Amino acid sequence: MAIDTDKIVHAVMHGSRIREEKGIIPLFGVYLSMISVQYYNKISFGFEKATGNDGFAEKLLVEAGQECGYATFQGVRSSWEWEEVVKPMIEDREDQIHCFVSIAIAFGWGDLTVQELVPGKKLVLRATDLYEAKGYLDVYGKADSGKCYMVRGVTGALMDLVYGDDYPEGCFQYTAVETSCVVKGDPYCEFIAQRAAS
Amino acid sequence: MTIDWPDKFAREGHELFLSGLPIALHCHHYNMNLQKTLETSLGSEGVLLLYKAAEESSYAGFTSFLEHHPKIVTAKSKLELASTSYQYCGLGIVNLTKVGPEGGIVTSPHSHHVTGWLAKFGKRQNVGCFFTGGWVAGVLAAIYNKHIGYFSVNELECKMTLARKCIFEVKIA
Repeated sequence: MAIDTDKIVHAVMHGSRIREEKGIIPLFGVYLSMISVQYYNKISFGFEKATGNDGFAEKLLVEAGQECGYATFQGVRSSWEWEEVVKPMIEDREDQIHCFVSIAIAFGWGDLTVQELVPGKKLVLRATDLYEAKGYLDVYGKADSGKCYMVRGVTGALMDLVYGDDYPEGCFQYTAVETSCVVKGDPYCEFIAQRAAS
Repeated sequence: MTIDWPDKFAREGHELFLSGLPIALHCHHYNMNLQKTLETSLGSEGVLLLYKAAEESSYAGFTSFLEHHPKIVTAKSKLELASTSYQYCGLGIVNLTKVGPEGGIVTSPHSHHVTGWLAKFGKRQNVGCFFTGGWVAGVLAAIYNKHIGYFSVNELECKMTLARKCIFEVKIA
């Protein structure tokens, strides 16, 4: 069975309209929030500017994205929504990656696609419209290096979850680089995750 | 006037909008990780960055929202809407009935950030709702037609330290 992204997006859209009495959105095993992308970009790029663009903020933001992706998608795949909506579509291990990407699209992170997946070895994601890149371009213009730190971290996290050691021991066993980014003038953002050097 | 918030939540292709404002869904893991990263790395400068980012984005969002809804004219209605928007965004419950153009007190019995922080990192020793503080400062500036930074919001008690509720003092800066 092919992965039905529309069905996953619909489940997220439907579920994220439900609030419990405390004003919290519990969905797919996590607590969701709807916050302006401007907020996230101000934090990430404000942090980077405050630390002098020396790679310090980039490293921490990618790590935050990877640790978050690892915990988030573990919560997602342990949820009853995953069991009910997503699991019936999954035929092999690799399908999990495609489902995680569908959920990232549903979360409004961008138009992500799986470009290449070599089981256990390599994952290539691409997107032309990520909120991080768009936000950077809008405020600062072009840059010499990729700026999609959250998605870069998440790319590594997807491989950690599917091919790394059992949760919670597998985080950071893979690492991702952003080989192309629209803030550099490239036609798309591309992320390649491979096993981290030990 | 009541707002049909679900009607304002829309998807256009891969993008999400709330009343025309681009938004993203993120979970407590990411939000709390960002906060901890900034606090640990930058200390008070990181806290200020979190507060200012929330203030500026809530000011921009609520200003745009009010422009699209010119029939909402009274401060009371605007405050009620701000409170319901906070709840609709999954941010929790915020009580804006004891605050006005001169400041006042804002309370929050439940919030995404409190629930998320306690779930992920446990009890804090100091107050930690910097997002909510900045968010309150931004929406109040939008409601009372003031500039960003006009209000300062200081958290007096915080559920992250296991207080009964979060209490914020609002003053003119």
